[in-house]
Amino acid sequence: MAVTAKAFQLWRSRIAPEDTVTDLCRVAGIKRSTLAQQLVRGKVSAPTIVAIARAYDLPPAEALAEFEGYAGLAAGIRMPTDAELVSQVSHIDILRLLVARSEDKECAGADLQLDLAPFPHRNSVRAWIEAIDPGDIRQQVAASTGVARQNLSAQLTAGRLAPEIAVEAARIAGVSLTSGLVVTGLLTPHEGGWPEDGRARALCAMSDLDLVFLARDRLDVLGKQIRRAELDDGKDRAMWENLG
Amino acid sequence: MTTTIQWAAFGLCAAGAAVRVPGLREGRGRTMFMALVLLTLAVGLSLDPIYLAVDAVLGGGNVANLLLRLALYAVFLLFGIRMAAAFDAARARRLIVGPFGLSIVALTVAATLYFFVSSELGGSSTGLRAFDDQDTVRQYGAVGRLYPGYVAACLVVPAALAVFDRHARPIHRFACALVACGYALVVVFVLLRLTPLPPTSWDILLPFSAILLTVLGLCLIWVSRVTARKASNSPNKLA
Repeated sequence: MAVTAKAFQLWRSRIAPEDTVTDLCRVAGIKRSTLAQQLVRGKVSAPTIVAIARAYDLPPAEALAEFEGYAGLAAGIRMPTDAELVSQVSHIDILRLLVARSEDKECAGADLQLDLAPFPHRNSVRAWIEAIDPGDIRQQVAASTGVARQNLSAQLTAGRLAPEIAVEAARIAGVSLTSGLVVTGLLTPHEGGWPEDGRARALCAMSDLDLVFLARDRLDVLGKQIRRAELDDGKDRAMWENLG
Repeated sequence: MTTTIQWAAFGLCAAGAAVRVPGLREGRGRTMFMALVLLTLAVGLSLDPIYLAVDAVLGGGNVANLLLRLALYAVFLLFGIRMAAAFDAARARRLIVGPFGLSIVALTVAATLYFFVSSELGGSSTGLRAFDDQDTVRQYGAVGRLYPGYVAACLVVPAALAVFDRHARPIHRFACALVACGYALVVVFVLLRLTPLPPTSWDILLPFSAILLTVLGLCLIWVSRVTARKASNSPNKLA
């Protein structure tokens, strides 16, 4: 989430000693009022750091690593696991591969032309947490970050995860520290050390059985979401039609 | 203070009814419109100038007060039906439109008519305040509070539960909170009048605050409906 304004000022005077805050905002394309407000509150957000780092041609992961809570971030970049890669494929793409295999249209090499939709997808964050979960990751993350379990679940349901929690989750699970920042969209896959065709390769390496169960699990999640959404729609309609 | 809140309630009810006029042609919100018109009428008849003018037309025998009572019963019945449906509260619905609820309506109307006829009501008087010394007039007033209190008690719990629905829209939760507070005030008012406490300014403040809160809640739901219609393109749930 946020780094202290003091640490930010130190960092800024190192990377751009000549530039004022106004210059910084202009170069990085962030609103001056946004940064000013963050400085007044004493907390500068991670997206601001990333935007400034990009503008000054610094690797964002290295820039973040200078701040408390992100220590060792750049050094902790590793190859994402296959489970992580597959978790970032949308259910539509999984079903497309399933259909392609059922029609014998998949042949070695052709797979890499799957044209996977860019990620993060709608359920990226939750799917990633499930992919790296050794069994009790939510309890462990809650315990080590001090964030309540309920709050954590709410973030996952909304498809969000605060950056320092994402890093902590990766640390606990023993995966690449930038993975969580990639799946929340803070870093691009390239910045986070995710290979470009990694997802397609990991997906195509799955056996038919694993692919079918993966599709089943994803459809299960989707079904629950749609049921929830329709229930909420029904309640809204009841409210409008009876009292509106 | 008391007159201000009465006029404010009158204005808000009239506004709540007026904004629903354009939807009527498409058949939307007819019941709520009817209920709000009746509520505007009832609130208007509790204001001196309007009451005296209307009662003069009706012959000066305080028939306007009877009209007020019957309009209020209709308002609570209509609100009760619609809100029980909106909150998906099957038990509240049974209690209001089931055999028990309807027999309470019938009993209340019969008792109201009986006490009205058996009172000596010569000369217009808003709220029948000039005849407070008659026992039948006091009974008439007590019966008039019975049914609204009953419906409000049925709806307080479902409305309050809707406030705690974490999946609901914030505007709906806020509107439900207003409605729940309104009904809670009605219940408190009815209970307080059963005690020997002398009816001072709270006798006006409580019921009219309840009307303000409830109608404000209904207006918020109307706003939510109108804004939702403008942004009617629902997202593709499968994508």
